[in-house]
Amino acid sequence: MNSIRSQVLVSLLSMLLLIGLVATAGIYLTVEAEFNELFDYELRQVALSFRDDSLGSPIGPPVQIVDAEDDLVIQIWDHAGALVYVSDALPVLPPRAGTGFSSVSTPGTEWRVFNVRLREHTIEVGQPMAVRHALAAGASVRTLLPMLFLIAGLGIVIWIFINKGLRPLKEVARAVEQRSAWALQPLADADLPDEVRPLVLALNQLLARLGNALQMHRTFIADAAHGLRTPLAAIQLQIQLARRASSERERAAAFEQLDEGVKRAAHLVQQLLDLARHGQEVAERPLAPVELSQLARQAVADHASIAHTKDIDIGIDGDPQVCVQGDFEALRVMLGNLVDNAIRYTQRGGRIDVGVRMEDDQPVLTVQDNGPGISAEFRERAFDRFSRKEGSDATGNGLGLAIVKNIALRHRASIALESSAGASGLRVMVRFPAQTQPLEPPQELMRAGDF
Amino acid sequence: MRLLLVEDDPMIGKGVQQGLQQDGFSVDWVMDGRAAERALGNKVYDLMLLDLGLPGIDGGKVLSNLRAGGSLIPVLILTARDAVADRVKALDGGADDFLTKPFDLDELSARVRALLRRRAGRAAPSIKHGSLEVNPATREVSIKGRELILSAREFAVLAALLDRPGVVLSRSQLEEKLYGWDAEVESNAVEVYIHSLRKKLGKEFIKNIRGVGYMVPKKP
Repeated sequence: MNSIRSQVLVSLLSMLLLIGLVATAGIYLTVEAEFNELFDYELRQVALSFRDDSLGSPIGPPVQIVDAEDDLVIQIWDHAGALVYVSDALPVLPPRAGTGFSSVSTPGTEWRVFNVRLREHTIEVGQPMAVRHALAAGASVRTLLPMLFLIAGLGIVIWIFINKGLRPLKEVARAVEQRSAWALQPLADADLPDEVRPLVLALNQLLARLGNALQMHRTFIADAAHGLRTPLAAIQLQIQLARRASSERERAAAFEQLDEGVKRAAHLVQQLLDLARHGQEVAERPLAPVELSQLARQAVADHASIAHTKDIDIGIDGDPQVCVQGDFEALRVMLGNLVDNAIRYTQRGGRIDVGVRMEDDQPVLTVQDNGPGISAEFRERAFDRFSRKEGSDATGNGLGLAIVKNIALRHRASIALESSAGASGLRVMVRFPAQTQPLEPPQELMRAGDF
Repeated sequence: MRLLLVEDDPMIGKGVQQGLQQDGFSVDWVMDGRAAERALGNKVYDLMLLDLGLPGIDGGKVLSNLRAGGSLIPVLILTARDAVADRVKALDGGADDFLTKPFDLDELSARVRALLRRRAGRAAPSIKHGSLEVNPATREVSIKGRELILSAREFAVLAALLDRPGVVLSRSQLEEKLYGWDAEVESNAVEVYIHSLRKKLGKEFIKNIRGVGYMVPKKP
């Protein structure tokens, strides 16, 4: 039974009914006790009235002194034990030796009996107990009946009031039901009973959060679509140029550019996927100990060949074993993006150092290049999606640092862009929170191919 | 016709430059707003192709600065932003046309020609000047119905002169129309083209104003 209305009704009404029954039983017992006293008195009075009659013998038919309703039975014996008077047609009570009150049972009936001895006569007045029970029961039923009416009436009133009280809930349910998936404006919370208001307020907060998440997704999709337009435009241009080409050399050049354009689009799609996968809105995977230095070595190895084509010297700077509580794949993507950025924006023959160390109990990851660096005013916008550095001819899509920031946030790591120690260049510093307990390096190091 | 292309994406910039050069325009390409403003200072351009999403000075800002300076140069916006609001903002901000990436090179070329035509105060696709008819889109030239074969440079010189009949263009002005920054200009190239044009069209068609330059007379 899961309805508040039924629960309230059933519990209230059964309680009332129980109270009614207990009250009835109580009334029954009280009334019966009073009747006992009263009727005992009557029995005695009737019996004694014979003595007061100063009966001569034989005793004649007694005056009708007894109320028929009381079902009194009077029997009189003489000293020899012969029945001299019976009020009923037949004697029903056995002769009794004693005097005073007693309970007697005959087949089928319980009696209350009073005996008195008058000279040579024994007078016995009896009354079936059933008469007393019936009277007491009648009295208690007469009190129970109005109580039943009261319970029924109360039930109806409670039903009406609960319905009325639950109406705001129904209205809220209807309002929610009628909404489309996109209608996220808050529900009206005016004139709500105190019991319903917290629910509506919580719903409104959820709606607001949903609205934000939805807005973020819309922005992301719009950004993604716009971001894809640029490589697509480049691809379309090169296709047309290839078609127009009048010489084999021109055509080959166009195809080479076309290839480059497709690679760019593919790279962008990969970045967008990374962004979607490692966005804050994604349900969190459990974090596990990750060895940063191993990750750094892997990132450097992964990018070694592309760095080589630009004649960039890439390497690891210091290599202590440093572990963080993290998401291995996310951290791999983060480091990959940082190294990729460094290679993109560093001139031919440059140098890139990836470093891992502990600083004030905090694991720190750095990627440092001796490229052109970025201006202080761009640093603030550098983490925005699709923001690119001014005056650069690198074909970045402006998503790399946005991905890095998302992943850093998930690891509660802070991230800073600084000038390199030398005159030029950029140092990206990711500072993880101090690890609360020493972490064991993972038992089995994962290889890049596992993903 | 000399165009300024402002596009920060190297692949697109290079592709557009190459494509428009094939269509007979000389195209200078810069990659950010600051360089665009410096280049516009030369006032040699007939039209600007402008990307909105530029690093540094945003394309919209370049446009509003340009219009604030009173320039009438036609501006065609090239952008990945295609929301109606973006287009309205750009057009109301002084742009003459709007093309969303990715775009078709032929369409871009056609829009550039249309803007140049309008700027010269013409609506018909072909330029008629007396018995001469020049179609900038197809680069077909005919005189009295007779087809003429012109080289790309000859055509460019003729188009530049026909663009403003009655205006004298100096040799260096013509050179500017013909060559982008990267082109090597031979010292007497313009004279060579004028000479061959006169041979094909007739001597009286292009007037040499001694010591000043050349012009196509208003009334042939």
